Amino acid sequence: MTLFLIRRFAQALFVVFAVTLIVSWAVRLSGDPAVMLTQGAGSVTEQDLANIRLALGLDRPFHVQYLGFLKGLFAGDLGNSFMGGTPVTVLIAKALPATLILAVSALLVSIVLAIPLGIRAAVKRGGAEDQVIRIVSLAGLSFPNFWLALMMVLVFSILLKWLPPSGWDGPTSLILPALTAGVINTAANVRLVRTAMLETLSAQYIMVARAKGLAERVVLYKHALRNSAIPLITYVGIQFGGLVAGLVVIERVFNWPGMGSLALDAVSGRDYPVLQGVVTVFAVLIVGVNLAVDIVYGLVDPRIRTE
Amino acid sequence: MLSRIGRLSSAVLAAALVGTAAPALAGGTLTVAQALDPGSWDPIDTFLVDWSKVANNVYDGLIQRGPDMKLVPGLATSWKVSDDGLKIRFELRKGVTFHNGEAFDAEAVKFTFERLLGAEGAKGPQQSNYNAIERIEVIDPYTIDMVLKKPDPVLPTKLAGYGAMIVPPKYVAEKGDAWFNTHPVGTGPFMLDAYEPKVGIKLKANPNFWGGKPKLDGVDFRFIAEPGTEVAELQAGRLDIATLIPLSQIETIKGQQNLDVMSVPGPTVVVLRFNTKNGVTKDENVRKALIMAVDRETIVKEILLGQAKPIVSFQSEVSFGHDPELKPLPFDPAGAKKLLAAAKVAPGTAVQLDIRGNDATFREVAQAVAGYLQGVGLKPTVKPYEVSVLLNDIIPNGKTGEMFHTAWGGWTFDFDNTAYLMYHTGEKWNPYDSDPKLDALLEKQRSITDQAERLKLLREVGAYVANRALELPLYNLNTFVGINKRVKGFVLPGDNRYRFTDVSVD
Repeated sequence: MTLFLIRRFAQALFVVFAVTLIVSWAVRLSGDPAVMLTQGAGSVTEQDLANIRLALGLDRPFHVQYLGFLKGLFAGDLGNSFMGGTPVTVLIAKALPATLILAVSALLVSIVLAIPLGIRAAVKRGGAEDQVIRIVSLAGLSFPNFWLALMMVLVFSILLKWLPPSGWDGPTSLILPALTAGVINTAANVRLVRTAMLETLSAQYIMVARAKGLAERVVLYKHALRNSAIPLITYVGIQFGGLVAGLVVIERVFNWPGMGSLALDAVSGRDYPVLQGVVTVFAVLIVGVNLAVDIVYGLVDPRIRTE
Repeated sequence: MLSRIGRLSSAVLAAALVGTAAPALAGGTLTVAQALDPGSWDPIDTFLVDWSKVANNVYDGLIQRGPDMKLVPGLATSWKVSDDGLKIRFELRKGVTFHNGEAFDAEAVKFTFERLLGAEGAKGPQQSNYNAIERIEVIDPYTIDMVLKKPDPVLPTKLAGYGAMIVPPKYVAEKGDAWFNTHPVGTGPFMLDAYEPKVGIKLKANPNFWGGKPKLDGVDFRFIAEPGTEVAELQAGRLDIATLIPLSQIETIKGQQNLDVMSVPGPTVVVLRFNTKNGVTKDENVRKALIMAVDRETIVKEILLGQAKPIVSFQSEVSFGHDPELKPLPFDPAGAKKLLAAAKVAPGTAVQLDIRGNDATFREVAQAVAGYLQGVGLKPTVKPYEVSVLLNDIIPNGKTGEMFHTAWGGWTFDFDNTAYLMYHTGEKWNPYDSDPKLDALLEKQRSITDQAERLKLLREVGAYVANRALELPLYNLNTFVGINKRVKGFVLPGDNRYRFTDVSVD
């Protein structure tokens, strides 16, 4: 078991290392931050640009810059933003909770919507309701998320004036972005619940439950759902990474002060340290979650840890 | 309650000091959206218009420029340029204090420029604009001489913004640079209330402002990078001024009863420059034919929805050096065909337009230009580049096609800024052309401070370039914002450097 843990941990560490290396290298191919910083300037000379690069430490060879980044990483220091010199850790400390709150809310929205809809579709299999739910959820899958976001804003913020269209002005601000991100994921989850339920409903113990004369509600939610929930839970875990990535667009449209907005700003400003920081944090998160899952699997299933 | 009384009494005091009899009314807060957070509010750190939208309310320069683009006294009450143009004497305003209570005097000016021109300034993009200045000599606490290495006729304008904003010496020395970046202190009409990186910055009225207490209680700037989102916020009534709105949404905004769109000529001018070294555009007559083939009026009307104005030389109407007498080549496809035939350019000859790939509006413009060129028998292609590749490699290294997109916007509104960099031999932006006569004109206007003479020379440059057809002049883009009609007294400055001293909200 110890050997298994060590091996898995080493693998995770290697993945994070590789990700940071690739990102740090690739971002430096994308353009010169000194030029981006002086875009509004009239007469910029090569000497000015050289001075700025010197101040930002960009005159050093790549391996020196990268090793500096790694060294800082172990000390919990991700460097300072090229724009204004704010420590990257400060920016991420603000943005990460915002993104996580949004992601978890979106997941909840998606689960709360998907379960009753999926069950309904399974129970009425082949009927009109099933068709409607399946077609609507297919449409939901096909929506471009920015379009849905704009429509939500148009209806709920501009026409009805119920909710703020963007920013963070208290809990009401969470509703629109969470709904938008949630609805898009719901489509897939509805189909997942439906399929799982169909399988469960044909099982013998459901027949027994019904034969006992239990209310249909109890049969569905107490007996069937519990057993259908396992694939949903597994899938939701996998979804989380994709969801966070998809939030980049949602965050931008709703001006949500999260990691996605931070990353987009950093890309357009060629703010290397911020971009490196954001990607590293995401890599650690995703690799960390996977590592945890692997370890739990290993604990549960001896075949995995001895493979 | 105490603080209320304190505020009230300081307002009364301020009113008494400047001698205005206006009663202190509840001012309210103005909410403004802009795309970017510059990250630092230190004048020497950035060169972004979005810095100036905010910081122009916090800081003052020795000289000020209002929305009418006229230079007026700021922290200097008067200034005089010596005959040789190598010294400017400034008389400083008395009784001015920074937001932290520190007094403004000659030492603050000296400190500001030594910082800008020294090691600290070298780390940022501002220094090179001011390197004509050699040193500041303090004559007495309220008089300084600015000694120059060489005359710089545009310097007074440059002193009205960006890197030349006066900063408090004791505050910066005590608190350090990192603190100053996020806690700006100046002498302007508004002072820092709260700054939240990437979210927004709130300013509150400076009751002791030397120009009189602002009418507003505060200004709330929000950073919103998505144009559609700014419009939504404006429509929802949560924004007073949206500074980043898509062209396509202008009519929607105007259609809403409580909203309006303000539009003035902006600093950005757009041209397609010619490769004068290689290809068919080596021939001046071919270049003229290409200019005559394109109907710029229609492009402005149909694609830019009237939010631009055709230009004749590479500058706007408000630019120093603009010549209202200079007339463009007419839109004349038949004449263009004749010129092309005379120059022995065969029908179907390929012409390549290199453009910035991220500019969706210009992509449409380029398509239209290509359509017009096709109309005179050429075979145009539009080639989009990643911006930094185009600006750092393709143009400076002379690797462009026959024509290349250049958008330029100097906040100084002085043709020198554009003309010198575009037409002088050896400049980064001039990879193809070398013209001793043009060089001489450009150098001469830089060496003199007689503005009437400079105007003549700059107009000569414009006419000379137009005559040689070095570029296909397109248009000058407007600066436009969406605004809630509850905002009163706001004049939109073309350079987007706002100052909200006299603005109020209902």
